Amino acid sequence: MSETLLFLIPLLPLSCALANLLFGMRLPRLFAETLAVSGVAGATLLTLLFWDYAAGEGTRAVLATWLASGDVNVAFALHFDKLAAPMTLMVTGVATLIHLYAVGYMRQEQDYARFFTLLNLFVFAMLAIVLADNLLVLFLGWEGVGLCSYALIGFWYRDKNNARAGTKAFLVTRVGDVFLGIALLWLFALTGTLSISEINAQAAALAPGTVLALTLLLLLGACGKSAQLPLMTWLADAMAGPTPVSALIHAATMVTAGVYLLCRLFPLVSLSAAGMTAIAAVGALTALYAATCAMAQREIKRVLAYSTMSQVGYMFMAVGAGTVSGAMFHLFTHAFFKALLFMAAGCLIHLAGEENDIFRMGGLARRGPPELFWVFLAGAVCLAGMPLTGGFFSKDAVLLALFSHADPVYRVFWLVGVLTALLTAFYTFRLTYLVFAGEPRGAGHPHPVTWLMRWPLWPLALIGLAGGILNLPALVGGSERLQHWLGSLAGRQPSVSHQLEWQLIALAALLVLAGWAAAHWRYRAYRPPLDNRTARFLLQGWRTDQLVDLVVVRPFDAMARLIYIGADRALIDGTLKGLSHFTATCGGMVRRLTTGRLSTYLSAFAWGFLLILGWVLLALVARGGGH
Amino acid sequence: MIVPLAHVLALAAAVFVLGLACAVMRRQLIMILIGVEIMLNAAALVMVGASAYWQQADGQVMVVLLMAVTASEVAVALAMVFYLRHRQGTIEADRFDRMQG
Repeated sequence: MSETLLFLIPLLPLSCALANLLFGMRLPRLFAETLAVSGVAGATLLTLLFWDYAAGEGTRAVLATWLASGDVNVAFALHFDKLAAPMTLMVTGVATLIHLYAVGYMRQEQDYARFFTLLNLFVFAMLAIVLADNLLVLFLGWEGVGLCSYALIGFWYRDKNNARAGTKAFLVTRVGDVFLGIALLWLFALTGTLSISEINAQAAALAPGTVLALTLLLLLGACGKSAQLPLMTWLADAMAGPTPVSALIHAATMVTAGVYLLCRLFPLVSLSAAGMTAIAAVGALTALYAATCAMAQREIKRVLAYSTMSQVGYMFMAVGAGTVSGAMFHLFTHAFFKALLFMAAGCLIHLAGEENDIFRMGGLARRGPPELFWVFLAGAVCLAGMPLTGGFFSKDAVLLALFSHADPVYRVFWLVGVLTALLTAFYTFRLTYLVFAGEPRGAGHPHPVTWLMRWPLWPLALIGLAGGILNLPALVGGSERLQHWLGSLAGRQPSVSHQLEWQLIALAALLVLAGWAAAHWRYRAYRPPLDNRTARFLLQGWRTDQLVDLVVVRPFDAMARLIYIGADRALIDGTLKGLSHFTATCGGMVRRLTTGRLSTYLSAFAWGFLLILGWVLLALVARGGGH
Repeated sequence: MIVPLAHVLALAAAVFVLGLACAVMRRQLIMILIGVEIMLNAAALVMVGASAYWQQADGQVMVVLLMAVTASEVAVALAMVFYLRHRQGTIEADRFDRMQG
C-alpha cells in the first residue's frame, strides 16, 4: 500500500459531502443518510487500517503541489504521526456515532441534504487540521470548520436568533483566526517554510522575544476556536444549532482544535516560559469563569456548553503546564463523555417535549426509557470527575502536572483547577437532579426517542467510563499507554512521590463528593431558581456580552456612523453632488440658448457670420491691404 | 468686360446683405425663404462676375447648377411651408419653438 492512500481518510467524508451536496435531494433519503454515515465510518475504518503508519516518526504523504512560486512551495501534504493518529481516530469515531444519532434526530427535517453535507464537510475540515503537514493545510481546515460551524449553528436560519448566533460565532472566531494568520505569515517569514515539523525543528534558533510573541498569537488563535477567554462569548449561543451539531462541533471536536494546534506546535510554544504561563493562565481563568456561569444556567445545553468551555480550559492548563499527553488525555475523555452528554441532552429535550429549561423538566428518570438516565449519569459522573471514571483520571493528570510545576504561579492555577473541579461536580449533579429527580414540571408532550438516537450513546458511555485505561497512571497499576505512545511528543512529565499523588487523588475525590453532597442537599427536592443579582450575573455569563457590546460593538458602531456621516455622506457624496450640481447649472445656462426659435438661430448665424467676416478682414488688413 | 469686377462684387454684397436682413428680420416663413433665395442669387452674381472677369466658364456652369439646386430647394421648402400651415394654421416662424432646449 502506498502512503498516498492515507488521503482517503479526509477525502472520503469530502466526497460523500460533495455527493450529498450535488445529488442529496434527488437521492432517496435513506441513501443520502447512508452515504453521510458511511463516509465517516469508512474514514474510521481506514484510520484503524492505516494505524501502523503512525509508528516511529509517522508517515508523510503528498498528494499534489498546492502553491509553488519562488520560495513558497506548499503541497497538499499530510502527516500521520503519533499525535495525529489517535486524534483522527477520536474525530472519526465520535463523528460516526454522532452521524448515526443525527440520522435519528433529523428524521423530521426536510433539508437533510444540506445538513449531512455540512456535517461531512466539517469532518473533512477537522481531519485537515488534524492531519495537516503544513500550516497552510491546517489553516484551510481551520477556516473550513469555522465555516461549517457557522452554517450549522444557523442551520434553522428562518429563526433570526439562530442566524444571529451563527454570525456571532463566525465573527468571534474570525478574530482569533486573524491572529493565527499573522502567526502563520510571521513563521513563514522567519523560517521560510510552512511545514510544521520544520518550524518545530527551527524554533530553537528564534529569538526568545519572537517566540513569546508567536506563542501569544497562536494562543489567541487557539482561544478563538476553543472558546477561551477573551473570545469565548460565541460558544454558549452556538447551542442554537441542532443537537448533533452541538455534540460534534461544539463539544467533541472543533473546540479542541485550539488545544490540538498548541500540542502540534508544542516544541515551538514550550520554548517560551512566559508564553506557557499565559496559556495556563487563560485556561485557568476560562475554567473558573465557565464553571461559575454553568452553575446558574437554566438551559440544559447551555450548562453543557459552559462545561465544555471549562473543560477545554483544563486542556489549556495542561498544555501550559507542559504536558501534551495530559492535554490529549483530557481531550479524548472529554470528547467521549461530552458528546454523550449532548446527545443524551438531545434525547431528554425530545422527551420533555422540546423543553430546554431544566427548571421545567424534572422527573425524566421515570418518564422515558430508563437507559437514558443511566447513560446520562455515566456522562455526568465523567464530567464531574467521579473516581475511577475517565474524566477523573484525565483531570487528575492535569491537576498533578499543575501542582508539580516548578514555577510557584502554577500553584495558583492548581488552586483554580481544584476549585473548578468542585464547581464542576456541583453543577453537573445540579443538572442531573433537576432533570431526573422529582415530579415532571413541564407541560410538554413527550416526543418518542428512536432507537437510532439511543444506541450510539452506549459505546460513548462505555468509552467515557473506561477512558482512564487510555492513560492510567502507574500509581494505580496502569501503563500510561498514551504517554508512552506519544513518546517524545508527550512533553514534560510530572515526577512526584507516590504519597503526594495519593493525597492529590484523595483531595480530588473529596471535592467531587463535596460537590455532589452540595447539589444533593440543594436540589434533591425541587426548589425554584434563585433570582438575585449574583444569579442573574452568572446566568448572563458575567455580562460579557454587554461588555463586548460596550467595548467593541458600540465604539465600532459609533466609528462606522462617524465615517458614514463624515466621510461617506459629507465628503464623497458632497463632492459628487457638488460636481453634478455644478454641471447641471452650467448645462441649464447653456440650455437657454436653444430657444427653438428660428429667428434666434438665424440672427445668431448672421452675427457669427459677421464676426468671422470682420476677423477675416482684419487678417487681410494685417497682411497688407489684400493684394 | 464693361463693368468692373469691384462693382459687381459691391452689388452682390449689397444684395446679400439685403437678403440676410430679410431672412433675419422677417418672421414669416415665406419671407425668410425669399431672403435665403436673395442671398443665393447674390452668390450666383459673384460667380457670374468672376467668370466674366477671368474668362472662364466654370463659374457659369456653377450658376446653372446653383439654379437647379435652388429650384429643388424651393420646391421642398414650399411643400413644407404648406404642410406647416395646414398643420399649425400659421407660418409665423417663431411659433414653431417646440425644439426648445
